[in-house]
This record gives sequence, C-alpha cells and structure tokens, in this order.
Amino acid sequence: MTGHEFLSGYPAKLMEYALAVGYLILFIPFWRYVQGAKAAPKRVAVAVQAPARAAEPRGVMAWFHVPENVHLHPGHTWARMEEDGSVTVGLDDFAHKLVGRVAAVALPEPGARVAQGEVAARLGADSKTVGLLSPVDGTVVAVNRAAAEEPGRLEDPYGKGWLFRVKPPRFAANVRQLFSGAAAREWLEGASQALAARLSPQLGHVLQDGGTPVNGIARELDPEHWDEIARNFFRT
Amino acid sequence: MKLSRRSFLRVAGITGSMAVAAKAAPAQAASPFETPGADEVSMLVDTTLCLGCRGCEAACAEANKLPDPPADEGVFDEPRKTSTTALTVVTRFANPRDEKDPRYVKRQCMHCVEPACASACPVRALDKLPFGPVTYHPERCMGCRYCMVACPFEVPKYEYEKALPTVKKCTFCAARQEKGLLPACASVCPSGALKFGKRGELVAEARRRVYGNPDKYVQHVYGEHEAGGTNWLYISDVDFAKLDMKVTVNDASYPQLVKGVLGVPPFVMTLWPPLLMGLYAFSHRRDEVSSHTGGEHGSKGEGSHE
Amino acid sequence: MNSHATTAPRSWFKENILLGMNPTDYVKSLLTPFNAVCAFICMVGVPLLVYRFYAGLGATTNLSQTQPWGLWIGFDMMTGIALAAGGFTIGAAVEIFNLKEYHAIERPAILTGFLGYLIAVVGLIADLGKPWNMVGIFTYNGTRSVLFEVAWCVACYTTVLFLEFAVPMFEWLGLKRFYQPLRKALLALTVLSVMFSTMHQSALGSLFIIAPGKLYPLWWSQWIYAFFFITAIVAGISMVIVESAISHKVFHSQFEGRHVDASALTLGLGKAGAVVLFAYFFLKLQGVIDAHAWGYVKGFLGAWWLVEMLGFILLPALLYAYGARNRNVTVVRVAAAIAVVGIVVNRLNVSIVAWDYGNPNHYVPSWMEIWVSLTLVTLGVLAFRWIVNRMPVLHEPADLATAEH
Repeated sequence: MTGHEFLSGYPAKLMEYALAVGYLILFIPFWRYVQGAKAAPKRVAVAVQAPARAAEPRGVMAWFHVPENVHLHPGHTWARMEEDGSVTVGLDDFAHKLVGRVAAVALPEPGARVAQGEVAARLGADSKTVGLLSPVDGTVVAVNRAAAEEPGRLEDPYGKGWLFRVKPPRFAANVRQLFSGAAAREWLEGASQALAARLSPQLGHVLQDGGTPVNGIARELDPEHWDEIARNFFRT
Repeated sequence: MKLSRRSFLRVAGITGSMAVAAKAAPAQAASPFETPGADEVSMLVDTTLCLGCRGCEAACAEANKLPDPPADEGVFDEPRKTSTTALTVVTRFANPRDEKDPRYVKRQCMHCVEPACASACPVRALDKLPFGPVTYHPERCMGCRYCMVACPFEVPKYEYEKALPTVKKCTFCAARQEKGLLPACASVCPSGALKFGKRGELVAEARRRVYGNPDKYVQHVYGEHEAGGTNWLYISDVDFAKLDMKVTVNDASYPQLVKGVLGVPPFVMTLWPPLLMGLYAFSHRRDEVSSHTGGEHGSKGEGSHE
Repeated sequence: MNSHATTAPRSWFKENILLGMNPTDYVKSLLTPFNAVCAFICMVGVPLLVYRFYAGLGATTNLSQTQPWGLWIGFDMMTGIALAAGGFTIGAAVEIFNLKEYHAIERPAILTGFLGYLIAVVGLIADLGKPWNMVGIFTYNGTRSVLFEVAWCVACYTTVLFLEFAVPMFEWLGLKRFYQPLRKALLALTVLSVMFSTMHQSALGSLFIIAPGKLYPLWWSQWIYAFFFITAIVAGISMVIVESAISHKVFHSQFEGRHVDASALTLGLGKAGAVVLFAYFFLKLQGVIDAHAWGYVKGFLGAWWLVEMLGFILLPALLYAYGARNRNVTVVRVAAAIAVVGIVVNRLNVSIVAWDYGNPNHYVPSWMEIWVSLTLVTLGVLAFRWIVNRMPVLHEPADLATAEH
C-alpha cells in the first residue's frame, strides 16, 4: 500500500508472528474455560459427602439419590448403558417422590421408537396422568411388564422399578444432553431447591425438623397445583 | 532534444523500476522497455499549455448531445468535478511560481489500461474496446453502481434524479474514433495542450518533455503508472497534488487486486463437496456401526424380550 | 390435520389458513398492538417503495456520487445476508456433523435464512437503478467482477434455501409427491448450501478489495473475505439463539407436549460462538498489522473501530464463554444479542461509516431509506410468524413424529 506506511515490512511480520503465538497461548486456557470440564467436580465433591442414602436427613440434597453410572434427563428420567449395548430407562428418585403412589403405568410397546425429549411413558396417579420424557433416542426392545402390573415396584426406581429398555442408535450424542455424576447431583439439588421454594409455606417446618419428605410431596402438600408442578418438573 | 546524463539515468531508472511494476501490470508489457497498452489510443495533457478556453467542454457537450457548459468564467471560482451533464471539466488552479499565470487542468475519464470499472461491472455495461477506450452500454446496465465503488479516480457519475438512470462518463469519443476522427475535445484544442496518439509514443513524448526539462516540469508523468497505467497522461510544472489530482492512487492495476480472490470460487466448488461428504461419513460412522450390530435385534414390531 | 379429497376445500382453507377460526374471529384475533405497529410501518413503507420506483433514487435516498452504496446495500443486502447465515450453519451442524440434537432448530434456522435472503433481494431490487437488467448476469460474461460471483451465488443459494423451505411447505399442503424427494435430497442441498454460502458470504467482503483508498484502512484488508465469512458463521449462530429464544416465548403453544431443550442447544451454540469470536478478534488484529494500518487507530474512526473490536467482538466472545461454562442461558442469549448488533455494526461500518471517509459531507441515510429498510424487516417478521403458525417448522409434521426419520 502506498502513502501511509507506519510500519515497514520486517517489524510488521514480527508483530504478526508474535500476535499469533500470543493468541495460541491464550487459546488453550480459553478453550478449557469454555468447556468447563475440570473445575466443576472438585467444587461439588467438597460439598457432597458420602453417597446419599434416601433415608438420611442431611438437608435438601440428600432427599434424592443418584447412582454413579446413571445419566439423568431434565425431565427426570434416567438412562443407563448395559453391557449388551442396550440402554435401560427409568424414572428418577426425585420424580418418584414427587408423584408418590402410582396407580397405573403406561409403557411403550416393544418395537416402538422413542425420541429424546418426547413423551415415551405415562404415570397415572388419582385421576391425573403425567407424561415422562425419554432420555434417549431408540427402538424399544424390552419393557418391564412387572412394573406396569405392580406399580409398587417403582419404589426402587433405579433397580426393580426400571421402565423399558431401548436400542440406542446415537447414545453418544444423546448423552451430551444428559447429566451424570456430580453434575447430576448438582442439578437435582437445584431442582429440589426450586421445589422447596414453591412449597415453602407448608414445607418450612419440615425442613427445620430435618425430616425427609413423604412420598408424593407435591400431592400431599399442594393438591391443587400438583399437576402444574409435575408439568414444570417433568417438562410435559 | 539533448539528454543530459542525469536525465538518461533517470529514464533508465524509471524504466527499470517499471519492469518491477510490470509484474503487477498487464501482460502486454513483454519487455521492460515496452509500455503497457502501447498500441492503445491515448491523450497527452500538457497543463503548461492549456489556456482555459474550455472549448473542449463545449465540443464534448455538442458531440454527446449534452447541455452547453456554463459560459461565464465564474465557474473557475470553485473546484469542479465531472457530472452527469458534463463529461469533462476544466478547473483553474493557482500557480505558485507565477500568480498571474494560473494553471488549467482538464479532467475526464482516465481510460485506464486495466480499468477497475469495467472489471467490476457484472454485466459488462462498462467494457474496454481493444483499441483503448472504456465505453458504456446503457442497455446492459442494471444500475448496481459497483463501477462507482471501484473507480479510484471517482469518474463514473450516476443519474440519481432519473427514473431510468444510466452511468455517465467520457467515452473518448469511441464512435468518432472508429470513423477516423479525433475525439471532440482534441479536435478543437487551440493550444496543443491535448495531444492525441498511441500510448507508447505519448509516454515516450511525455518523458522526453518532462525528463528533458527538469527545471520546468514536475518529474513525473501522471498516468504512466497510476492504476497500472492510464491512457490519459498528464504532465505539469505544478505539483499534481496542488492540481487536485489523486496522488494516492495505487501503481498496480486495480483489477489485479481481486485476481487472487476471484480464483477461489472454483476451488471451493471443487473442494467443498468431497470435504463435506468426508466429514459427513466421519461423523456418521458410529451410526453405521450401531445399525450393523443392532440388526439382529429387529427393528419393527417384533415380540418383547422378557 | 390435513383434510382433503372428501371434504370441501373451504374447510382446508379454514384449518390451514385461518387457523381453524371463522373469518370474523380470525380478523378479530389480528387486532393486537404488535400488529398495529407493524401495519403502521408497512402502510408508510410500502407506498414509499412504490414512490422510489416512480420518482427515482435521488428523490428517496441520500446517495451521492461518492457514496453510491447506502443503507439498502449496507443493511438490507449485506447485513440481511449475514444474519441469514443460520440456514447453512445449523444445516451443516445437523446434516454434515451429525449433531442431531440441533435438529429441532434446523427448520426455523432455514426459514430465517430463506426470509432473510428474500429481504436482501427485495432491498437489492429497491436499490438497483434498472433491476430488470439483473438477468444480464446470466447473459453477459462479467466473470472478472466479484459482483458477478455474488449475484450468481445468491441466486443459486436462494433457490437452495427455497427447496429446503419447500419441505415444510409441501408437508403443510399435504403434497407427499413433492416433499418426499426433497427430504431425500436434504443432504445434497445442505452440501450445496455450505458451498454457496462460503462463496458469497466471503465475496460480499471481497467487493471492497478493489477500493482500498476509499475504505478506512482499519477495515480494508486483503483478507476481508475471510472476515466476512467468519462473521457470517458468528451471525448464523447468534441469530439462531436469538430467534429460538423469541420463538419459545412467542410460539410457546407449539412446544407444549414436547420437550425441546432449548437451553442445552443454546449453551452448545454459545460454546461455538465463544471460540469463533475469540479467534476472529485476533484475526482482525492480524489483518490490521498485515495492512500496516496501526497508525490509523486515531480520530473518530479509530475510536469507533475500538468500540467495534472491544464492545462487539471481544465482549460477546467473553460473555459467550462465561455463559457456556456456567450453563447460564441468559448470559448466552445476551451475548448473542450483542453479537447480532455487532454484525450489523460491522457491515454498516464497512459499507457506510468507514467508506468515503475523507468526505466532510458524509452520507447519512434519509428517513425514507430507513423506513423502507424497517418495512422489509417487519414484512420478514410477519412472514415468519405466518408460516410458523401454519407449517411444520417449530414442530415435526404428523408423519415424522411417530414414524421413522
């Protein structure tokens, strides 16, 4: 360019290379910051002690139990990859306690296709039903008929209370949308705080007592709005 | 015409550096001693000879069927630019050497050897004729005004006030030239300030005058290298910047600036499909695997497994 | 929903055009304050557009012999095309990079893209002196011009966008014969859309390479085509975030009964936005050093360049990073809004503010230019709303929701 030569060739090239090197050096921490992987677990590990058992009154976060190898969906369902490559789906502890005694369970048929974020099953309690969102995409290969026949099985939501199994074509992609481990516990903590805030007038003295909430918290304590609450938390 | 040794060396130096510039200039300059566009028609404007009679303006207006230029000398009081109704204008400038002898400069399209406007026009409404002039085809023009963006001399003028607007600029009287006539302006110039001829000869003539009279002329032929070379050449004894002439114009041709960029689309069209399909295959490979291994379990409506 | 063959045509019209309402009820439902404002804008703007064709550009714009391109090129055309880049970015994410979770926002992104390009084309037609001669790009061999390439690519890409948009349109019309082959062609269309977009998004920047003396050196660069392409990607990502945030609020009823985790998608896009903007910031610095333009960081334009760099490039990059890392969807959305404004600022800077910078009587758009641009944007928003309320854009069509993909 003619005219306004502020910098001549060589020093300018040096500046360009220096800038590029400086940028590369800055890029590494920037990338790691954006991905946010390492810092989070350390922070939560300090706060959460031994694996929380449902019965122990240790404050709000101990109400809801999350096993290690389970991935949670924002609609409060969970997915767990089995050894044979299929994925088991169920309802999480929070949801189970929120809904309480379930009168009926409607499950998808084997061979049906479910999609992440779409309603796959329904729980009936009293005269109302709540939809449950599937945490993964897939084709249903097995269904827990026992749970459908005896809804009491759902007391063990991560074990005998499983709902159905699917063959997932893109589990890796689906899992990116799910919470697990410490992040899941952190999220459940947030969900229970949100729930507590909604129910606070009634729940206040329960928290002070340190007692664990009864099954069917929402129904017992706020019968008029329970389906609004259920919809809010189950996202259906 | 005597050439002193100093001016000979100057000429040699100029032509030597022109060899470097020739790399950026059009391929017509096969040897460093050849001028780009040497066979194109050209005009040499010697501002030391111009009387400011503005006969060129009147002749141009008549030849192009434009309104007569304003008659009174008051036009010289202000800087002038060409317009949609005046394809050439003469402006008066003060002469620092002699207050009583102002300088007059005729401005019009420079008819570049590699015109930015013609290369910019997507429908070739502005196009360069092989023998030199850059001409305009109003029936092709869509009025995008990219020629106005491109021209470093700010020559093309647009008829914004019209419902069917066209671009206006000097056409070097290409039609007259094709009939063997001189351009209108040159045909009436009384003082010999306008000299018509082939570019190669006129560049040589300009250099002779300029480098042969270093005490008189500014040691530069304006238009020799500007924008890669223009067909309208100017020599002057007053600094060109004081004559309102654009002195920050590149020495390389403007179309050359975009040459590299224009080479990219065919590459993208060739390279992108295989690249994207490769990425597609790579990111879908897990789907392939899972659909293969899962094939035995059955996909639609087979019995439950428990 | 699609009732045809055995029922009268009028009920299809009622279901699919009047949204199931009686004509009087439908008209009543249109009487909202938002619609009133839009109507006012269009009632002034559309006649202005007609007037421009009757009276010419001089009567309606402030364009001059040194400022041949003004708001209609700088905003309607250049900014419009940049902000419509979501079509190819999300399309590529879903179809090429197999990020299936973004499938839910693929159709709205394509629709935004298609309408954005229509706005750009109408704005261009308003700006051209003799728009009917546009066909000349197909008949005259203007291949030495960057604008030739822009025109061809925009024409081809608008066609591709239309074909992609035609899928929900034909689904709405129930024309399986048309939408099925188009659905199958989606991968090919996506490859073409990335190809055409790469070419013309960058070529819009290349248009200015031929005029180094007229564009302030902090914006002119021989790499300007790379800057335009990268900011197009940023614009695509950011517009999709903004558009999906608004759609989720405004068209909430279409999301009921399904779960589209807009938050997770927004965070994912925010991550991408952070990294691209961060790299772009340094790329711009490189461009300035490469052009030896450091001395131009002075005066009003130098200060304004710093505002663009720090406030509209670095700031949204950092906000995106913060929001993505801390899973704060609101911060990501704010970053997206700033980034969108930043793209507008950049395109207007290149085409208007930093152009013809030596001129003491610098161009300022006329109120008519501004109003016409506003009208085109309003028409685009109204078209978006009309289409989204009727066609399967924000939700899957009935046959895809239950059956296989």
